[in-house]
Amino acid sequence: MEHGYTIKSKPIYGALAWHDKATVHLVIAQSQGGLAVLKLFEQMQPKQPVRVLYAQQDTDYAKTLKKVVPEGLDVLNSEQELLDVLKSIMPTMRMGLRIYIAGSEGFIWSVAEAVKAFGVENADLMKEQTDTLARTIYCVHCKAITHNITTNIGKCSGCGRMLFVRDHFSRQMGAYMGLMIDAESPGELPAIEEIYP
Amino acid sequence: MSMINVKVVAIEQVTPLVKHFTFVKEDGSSLPAFSGGSHVVVSLDIGGRIHRNPYSLMGSPMENEAYHISVRKQENSRGGSVFMHENVTVGMPLKITYPVNLFSLAKKGRKHILIAGGIGITPFMSQIADLNRMNANYELHYAYRSPEHGAFAAQLKEKCGDHLHCYIDSQGQRLDLQALLNDQPLGTHVYVCGPNAMVLATLDTARNLGWPENHIHSEQFLSPPTGEPFKIQLARSNIEIQVSAEMSMLEAIEAAGVEADYLCRGGVCGRCELDVLETDGALEHNDHFLTDTEKASCKKIMPCVSRAKGERLVLDL
Ligand code: FES
Repeated sequence: MEHGYTIKSKPIYGALAWHDKATVHLVIAQSQGGLAVLKLFEQMQPKQPVRVLYAQQDTDYAKTLKKVVPEGLDVLNSEQELLDVLKSIMPTMRMGLRIYIAGSEGFIWSVAEAVKAFGVENADLMKEQTDTLARTIYCVHCKAITHNITTNIGKCSGCGRMLFVRDHFSRQMGAYMGLMIDAESPGELPAIEEIYP
Repeated sequence: MSMINVKVVAIEQVTPLVKHFTFVKEDGSSLPAFSGGSHVVVSLDIGGRIHRNPYSLMGSPMENEAYHISVRKQENSRGGSVFMHENVTVGMPLKITYPVNLFSLAKKGRKHILIAGGIGITPFMSQIADLNRMNANYELHYAYRSPEHGAFAAQLKEKCGDHLHCYIDSQGQRLDLQALLNDQPLGTHVYVCGPNAMVLATLDTARNLGWPENHIHSEQFLSPPTGEPFKIQLARSNIEIQVSAEMSMLEAIEAAGVEADYLCRGGVCGRCELDVLETDGALEHNDHFLTDTEKASCKKIMPCVSRAKGERLVLDL
């Protein structure tokens, strides 16, 4: 982590809150993001139609969601299944759709990428990070993507280099930049610590 | 601010109230490239007082031999547009700023809906050239008072074909914003330029339908309102300046020989913002840039359109 200043490219996530103006609300969540959805429904019940897509994992809010969300809830068994349903409903959506996403950073950006193909821009999305702080990194040397890095230094899944995880985030790839750490003196590594639990 | 020396090579009366001016560079070289939606500020010496008015560039951004602007005669304005209509002649040298774009097309847009009222058509003329070149999905909705006021309607028909929809008020044709914006595909952007009521109605309609802010674009340069004369002090320059009833604060600062930043001179871009160090009276904020909280705090002012009441206003300049 880099101290003393903020790097603009590190995304800032907020807490979900309903837009009061919309024609349709689409809430997309994964695992612990279910809690964010429950909090959202505590705020109020929007007048406009609501659709909720929820991918359940180990922590499971599906049961409670079924009680709280009156209609339009889809519980899916994996992120992939959720993305498939999402892609099937997006073509019916028009301007006035508001999208809310809650889940891990990796999940948020897979959803962002999926809806981008339908003309929804990043700035249009409301996002809440839940679950893990684990980072997806892209290796600047071999371009491979490695998921679930919880430490300051991680091993590239492509070329095996030890990469230092920077705060530099690419929205296109939904991943942080990873730079070879021992380029100058191979094998000499600083302590590896868990900082993105 | 560095200026370009141009000369007027053609003037054409397009409607009873609108004149079209063509400029080329005085030394015959090419003009700087620009993007659709850009404007320049034309500087006019009216009886020793410098007026600076922003006008949209209307030609194709691909053409850099000449710039084109259109000016609507504003009878009760402070004289800039009347001077353009009555005193500017072919062959006359003028100074203009480099083009600045505060109304550019959204690059990620899938579809573009352009809404123009009257002379508000001008920034769209250059955008249309860009949209046609990109083969983009767009619609141009152009509303005007009566057939003789439809400046460029014929020209637009030729350029835009089916993309163009005209609404002639005197023939009872109205643009239904709700119906227009109600059912648009994701990735649509709306752009509006025209009279205040039309701009506000468009913004309102789009927002009420849940369109995200970054899909809604407007351009509306305010002309500096006149008012009571007042005095200002410039702390860094250490001078006191009288702002007359007719002048804007920015013009008075410039007339006193102090360099001040600006881009739009119409209260929208934010470039001219000045810090208020001290004030004993009410500030008349006329801009569309500062938030209501900022306006209430009396810590900042936009000198291109805003004024003040009271005896003392000290600015950090
Ligand atoms: S110059 Fe743009 S707000 Fe004053």
